[in-house]
Amino acid sequence: MAVAEATAFAGAALVPGMPHLHAAEPAPSWAELAAATRAAGESIRAARPDALVMLSTQWFTVLGHQLQLDPNPRGTRVDENWYAYDYGELRYDLRVDVELTERWAQEIEADGLQARRTRYDDFPIDTGVVVAQPLLDPDGELPLALVSCNLYAAAEDLAGIAAAALRAAEATGRRVAFVAVSGLSSALTQRWIAPDEDAIGAAGNERWDRRVLDMLAAGRLDDVLALREEYAREASVDSQLRALAFLAGTGCLDRPADVLAYGPVWGTGAAVIHWRSP
Amino acid sequence: MASVFHVPVGDRTWQRRGAPGPLPVSPPAPAGAPAERRAGIVAGYLAPHPPHLLYAENPPQNEPRSQGGWESLRWAYEDLRTRLRALAPDVIVLHAPHWITMVGHHVNCVPNPRGISVEPIFPHLLRYRYDFRTDVDLAEAIADQALADGLVTRKLTTEGVRVDYATITALHLLNPDWDIPVVSLSANNNPYYYSTSSLEQMEVLGEATRKAIEATGRRAVVAGSNSLSHFHWDREPDLPEDMAAEHPFDNHQYRWDMRLLELIRAGRTRELRTFIPEHIEATESETKAGSLTWLLAAMGWPEGAGEVLAYGSVIGTGNAVCAWEPDGRR
Repeated sequence: MAVAEATAFAGAALVPGMPHLHAAEPAPSWAELAAATRAAGESIRAARPDALVMLSTQWFTVLGHQLQLDPNPRGTRVDENWYAYDYGELRYDLRVDVELTERWAQEIEADGLQARRTRYDDFPIDTGVVVAQPLLDPDGELPLALVSCNLYAAAEDLAGIAAAALRAAEATGRRVAFVAVSGLSSALTQRWIAPDEDAIGAAGNERWDRRVLDMLAAGRLDDVLALREEYAREASVDSQLRALAFLAGTGCLDRPADVLAYGPVWGTGAAVIHWRSP
Repeated sequence: MASVFHVPVGDRTWQRRGAPGPLPVSPPAPAGAPAERRAGIVAGYLAPHPPHLLYAENPPQNEPRSQGGWESLRWAYEDLRTRLRALAPDVIVLHAPHWITMVGHHVNCVPNPRGISVEPIFPHLLRYRYDFRTDVDLAEAIADQALADGLVTRKLTTEGVRVDYATITALHLLNPDWDIPVVSLSANNNPYYYSTSSLEQMEVLGEATRKAIEATGRRAVVAGSNSLSHFHWDREPDLPEDMAAEHPFDNHQYRWDMRLLELIRAGRTRELRTFIPEHIEATESETKAGSLTWLLAAMGWPEGAGEVLAYGSVIGTGNAVCAWEPDGRR
């Protein structure tokens, strides 16, 4: 890793994107995950980044890699599944680092991938970003650079997208933290439950989730990446855990991760994981 | 391209819940009532929804402008519009895959959905101002019947949920005047968990839809909005409507689509029940979202009634406009 790249890297986190983290009367695990996401945000902000580079698996796309260039996306997200709950309607007022994102798009194109610039009024920001951003950065101090998660992109391509972001940060003199908004196992409970009923939907999924989290806490990122497809297949992992491949593309996760929380959200596995900057 | 895993939605607990509780059925039409005004499902359409088709029409509600394209599919929709007018239904009931509900089957019960739908995947093609009426009585009846038949359901009554591009595209192309009330059903699946709809549940939902239509005395057209083979390009040409770049993804996909369409043309509808899962396995067909199964289940898998009006590719995916009109074409 180049010294300049290391300087540009201000840490990384993988956080959940389910809106239950904003519930007025949360399940214990939802509250723990929300608190852990806030804690990860405090650690990230302590590393003094200029921006958050964020990929959310809930902004799923199918053509190229979309990048948000609206400087101020704002509105109300009424989730199409969770609208009936207090946490189903979330306001957002985001700042986007347009200069960084534009340079990111150029770096993606330089790698031979398709960067699709997105700047439209009323563009619907996905639930994952709207959930994670206010927990990580309650005062909205940090602008964002947002990229979609192509459903069909290879993990290696998503790693390249993150590497391109780090180069863009270096080129524009930014220090950036990387955030992937993604769940883990996905045995979603297929009925309407009360918060205190929530539990990981399959015992095998929890074993897989905890195995992977233990490996990350031990600094065994490469071993997790080698297991990624098997884990994804066995535990139906959110977007095949390509969000981790994205973060790994920074080349800066070569240290034990802090696993700040793990628990269920409507049967799925969710965790907050933080990697500190050098 | 990443591998795609298939995970069936749900834990099958829905099968163990309460016994079906059918809605009271409306009295039959009085003797001497014109046959063409009979209640029930009078037609079913396979109505694909790539936003490219709506974009190519350049309707005033949609902000982007195009040079056209995908004409054979759009001309088939013109045919459907003529048929729809002749049938004069009370309501169009649509199941589409991009109102994605990860828990259960939802029915839009908002009386007047309106707003702008900027499509997050294809924002350059679809930024559409919509304003339509829901047949709330029928919408609620479908949700109630589906619940009584053991499905997890929810009635959407909250304003502000963005109407998805598939619902908008299919309904616009069927009825650009939007002067027929609508019932919109969600798809119980989740792309980022790579979970697909349970076709078994879609059959139950289809049958529940039919019961509710009959119980409320509606004269209904049902429309399932699925593409067929669903592998597609991962890049788009600079001009999205550049037809020189448009062709089936590969011959394998095309051949499997033709096998499905041959069954429809031959009227061998019941065979589709077993063929649809095979077709999904072979082509990642979007029928995995269940709209086609729902449509045909609602119609009772009618033998001998299918027509294929057009087939064409959109960014490599297979798309067909099909019609089932059990009473025959007027």
